[in-house]
Amino acid sequence: MVVASAPEAPSAPEALLHVKDVSKAFPGVKALDRVTLDVRPGRVHGIVGENGAGKSTLMKILSGVYEKDSGEIVFEGNVIDKITPVQSMNMGLSIIYQELNLVNTMTVGENIFLGRFSESGGRAGVHAKAKALLKSIGSKVSTYRQVSELSVSDKQMVEIAKALSFDSKLIIMDEPSSSLTADEMEKLVQIIHDLKSKGIAIIYISHKLDEIFGFCDVVTVMRDGRVIATRDVSSITRNEMISMMVGRTIENEFPPRPDCAGETILEIKNINTRKLKDVKLTLRKGEILGLVGLVGSGRTELVRALFGADKVAKKSIYLEGRPVKISSPMDAIRLGLAMVPEDRKLQGLLLGFSVEQNISLAVLARLTEYGFINTKEEAAVGDRQIKALNVRTPSAKTKIRTLSGGNQQKAILGRWLEMSPKVLVLDEPTKGVDVGAKYEIYLLMKKIVEAGGAIILISSELPEVLNMSNRVNTICEGRINGEFDPVTASADEIMAKAFEFA
Amino acid sequence: MNTRQLNLNSRIRSSSRTVLGLQKAFLAILLVVLAMAVFNLIPETRNNFFSEANFINILKSASIFLILAMGETVVLIAGGVDLSIGGMMAFSGVVVILLMNAGVPIPVAIALTLLMGVAVGAVNAFISVYQRAEPFIITLGMGIVLTGAAQQLTNARSVSSTLPDFQLIANTQILGWVPILVVVMLAVLAVTYWMLRSTSFGRNVYAVGGDYEVAKYSGINVRRTKAATYLICGLTAALGGVMLASQLNSASSIAGENTALYVVCAVVVGGTSVAGGVGGAIKSTIGLLLLGLLTNAFNQLRIDSLVSYLSTALLGIIIVSILWLDSYGRKRRREAV
Repeated sequence: MVVASAPEAPSAPEALLHVKDVSKAFPGVKALDRVTLDVRPGRVHGIVGENGAGKSTLMKILSGVYEKDSGEIVFEGNVIDKITPVQSMNMGLSIIYQELNLVNTMTVGENIFLGRFSESGGRAGVHAKAKALLKSIGSKVSTYRQVSELSVSDKQMVEIAKALSFDSKLIIMDEPSSSLTADEMEKLVQIIHDLKSKGIAIIYISHKLDEIFGFCDVVTVMRDGRVIATRDVSSITRNEMISMMVGRTIENEFPPRPDCAGETILEIKNINTRKLKDVKLTLRKGEILGLVGLVGSGRTELVRALFGADKVAKKSIYLEGRPVKISSPMDAIRLGLAMVPEDRKLQGLLLGFSVEQNISLAVLARLTEYGFINTKEEAAVGDRQIKALNVRTPSAKTKIRTLSGGNQQKAILGRWLEMSPKVLVLDEPTKGVDVGAKYEIYLLMKKIVEAGGAIILISSELPEVLNMSNRVNTICEGRINGEFDPVTASADEIMAKAFEFA
Repeated sequence: MNTRQLNLNSRIRSSSRTVLGLQKAFLAILLVVLAMAVFNLIPETRNNFFSEANFINILKSASIFLILAMGETVVLIAGGVDLSIGGMMAFSGVVVILLMNAGVPIPVAIALTLLMGVAVGAVNAFISVYQRAEPFIITLGMGIVLTGAAQQLTNARSVSSTLPDFQLIANTQILGWVPILVVVMLAVLAVTYWMLRSTSFGRNVYAVGGDYEVAKYSGINVRRTKAATYLICGLTAALGGVMLASQLNSASSIAGENTALYVVCAVVVGGTSVAGGVGGAIKSTIGLLLLGLLTNAFNQLRIDSLVSYLSTALLGIIIVSILWLDSYGRKRRREAV
C-alpha cells in the first residue's frame, strides 16, 4: 500500500478541513476505514475512486447526513461531532449533490434563500441578494424564473450561488460534470477558478481523470473505503492513478472460470435510445459476458432497453438466430430472458411476500390451474430453490425482509433459475453481499452456464468480471467501445477503456 | 439450533403475529359489546342493543357496505383507490328501479345494472391506469358524475319500484331468519377471499400493489391486473346499489353520500394499507363490523340530544385513534429494531 500522506510544499496554508481516521460501517460493509484527509483553502481537491470506494459516504458524513462511527473531523479549528445538514451549511460547508437539491416549483431566488426568507429581507431582499450572488459567478439567470425551466448547468449555478449565500469556505461538488455539455463544463471550470481565487476550498469528486488533471491541485485516490494516496496532481501520472484505483490484490475468492462457450444465442444488432448509441452485442451459449462501465455509462439503460422496460426508438434483437420483438418485460420472460436487477430492494424483492412467494413469482403461470395456484407445487418450487441455492432461511414461509442481503439475493436468483432462462442478466449481483455468499453466487453462475445458459454480468467490481467472465465488453457514454479477453487483458487496460482514455 | 426447531419457531412466531392482529380487532369488538352490556345494566341507558332484531339490523346494514368494501379492498391492495363507489351505489339503485319500472324484466334489469358498473369501472381503469391520472381525483370526480346523473334521472326525489317481487330479493328470509342479502354478502366475501388468497390473479394483485416495478420485471401484466381491480370494484359497487334498492324497495341520488370514505376508512381500520400490497377480505370484514357495531351502539345510546349529535364526531375520533395507535405501535417496533 502507498503511504497515505505525501509531502506538501512548505508554503502550503493551514488545513481548512482536517479529517482524521474516520471510519463508518454499514451492516455487512465497511464503507470507510480510517480515512485521513486534509483540505486547504484556495485549493481544488479532487477525489477519485471506483464506485463504492467510499467517496459518497465520506461526503455524506461531512455534510451531516450520516454519522461517523469513529475518528475526528476538524473544520476551521472546530471539532465537528454531530451535526445536521443545516448546521454544516451555516458553518460554511456546502455540498452540491449530483442530483441537485433544488425545489423545482419555486423560483431561483426563493431556492437560494430557502428557509431564510424573512431574514433575507422578504421578497425584494431575496431577489436582490440572489441577483448579486449570481452576478458574482457570472450567471445572468433571472431570479424570478422557476427552477424547473432551467438547464442543468443553470441549476448548478443556482446551487453554487446558494453555497456562496452561506459564506461557504468549502464547497463539495459530487460529480458535477456528469450531465453537462462541453461548453457548460468550461463555464464551470471558470467558476471553480474564481472561487479558488477567493480562497474557497473545493472538493471535486469525479470519475473523469481528465478533469482531475485539468484543474485540480491535489488528488486523493480512494478504494474499498480507504485512502490509497493523496498527491499533488503535478507529481502523479495517469497510469499511476488508475492502478491505485483498481489495483487490489486478487486472492482466491473465485471458483475456476467456466469454459463451455458455444454458438451465438443472443445478438443485439442495434439498440438506439437517447442514451444508447448503436449498441451491438453478441452472447454465446454457455458464456459469461462481462460488461464493464461506470454508473451513467448506459449499462443500466442497455439492460432496461433489452428487457422492454423502457420505450426504445430503434431495436433489433435476434435470439437463437430469429428476430424477436420485446416490448415489455413480459415478452422478455416469455422468450426465456431473465434479469436480476441492480437494486434488489427496488426492482427485485417483494418485501411483504414470503421467500417461497418471491421465488415463485416469475413462474406463477406454470403453477396455476383454472386460475388457482397449486400450493403444493409452489411449496415444491420454493423448497427446491432454497435447497439448491443454500438460502439460509428459517422456513420457506418466512417473510423475505427478515433475511440477510446475501440470502435475499440468492432467493431472487432462485426466482429466475426456476424458469431456466436462456439468457440471464445479472446487474451487480454481489453488491452488498458478504464474501461467503459471493463465492456461492459465483459457483452458481458457473453451474448455470455449464447447464447451457448464458450470462451477461454487469459489475463495478473489476476482479469479479476478470475472474468469472469469458469475454469483456466495455461501455462508455452509451457506446460499446471495447472488447477484451479477461485472461490476457489487464485491469488497467479495461478501466482505461471504460474511462475512455485510449 | 437445528433447522427443524428454527422452522417451528418461525411458524409459531409468524402465526402468533397474525392472530395478534386479529385479536386486536376482536378485542375492540368485545370492548364495544361489553360497554353496551354495562350501559344496559343502568336503567337510564337501557336499550335494545342485545335484541335479535338489532343484530339482524347490524348485519343487514353492514352487508351493503361489506359488498362495496370487498371491491375496494382489491383496488387498495393493488395500490389504487376508488372513491366513486358511493355515487355508483346510488346511481345503480336508481338505474335498476327505473329499468324495471320501464318494463324490463327483473333479472335483465339487474344484469344490465351490473354490466354498467363494470363499464364505469373500465372507464376509471382506463383513465387512472392506462392514462396514469391520479385515481384519487378521477374516481372522486366519477362519483360526482354518477351522483349528478342519478339526480337528473330522479329529479332529486326518491323513486320506488312498482314490482312487489323486487324487494323480495334482499328481504326474503331463509333458514328462519337469514335475509338473502346476508347470503349474497357472504358469497361476495367468500369469492373475494378465495380470489385474493388462492388464485394467481390475487397473487398478482398483491405483487402489483407491493412493488409495481418488481411485478413488471417478473412478467406480470401489471396494467391489466390493476385495471381489473377497478372493474371488480365497479361490479361490487353496482351490486351493493341493487341490493340496497331491493332492501328499501326504493332508490335516491343521496344514498351514496359519504359511503366511499366510510368504506375506505373501515377497510383501512381493518388493516388494509392505502399504500398497497397489504390487506385482505377478512381484515376488511372485521374493520367494517367494528365500525358498524360502533355506529349502531351510538344510535342505541341516543338518549339525549347531546349524545345524538356527537355520535358522528365520536365515530371519527375512534377511526383516527385506531389508525394513530396502530402507526404509533409500528413506529415503536421499528425504533426498537
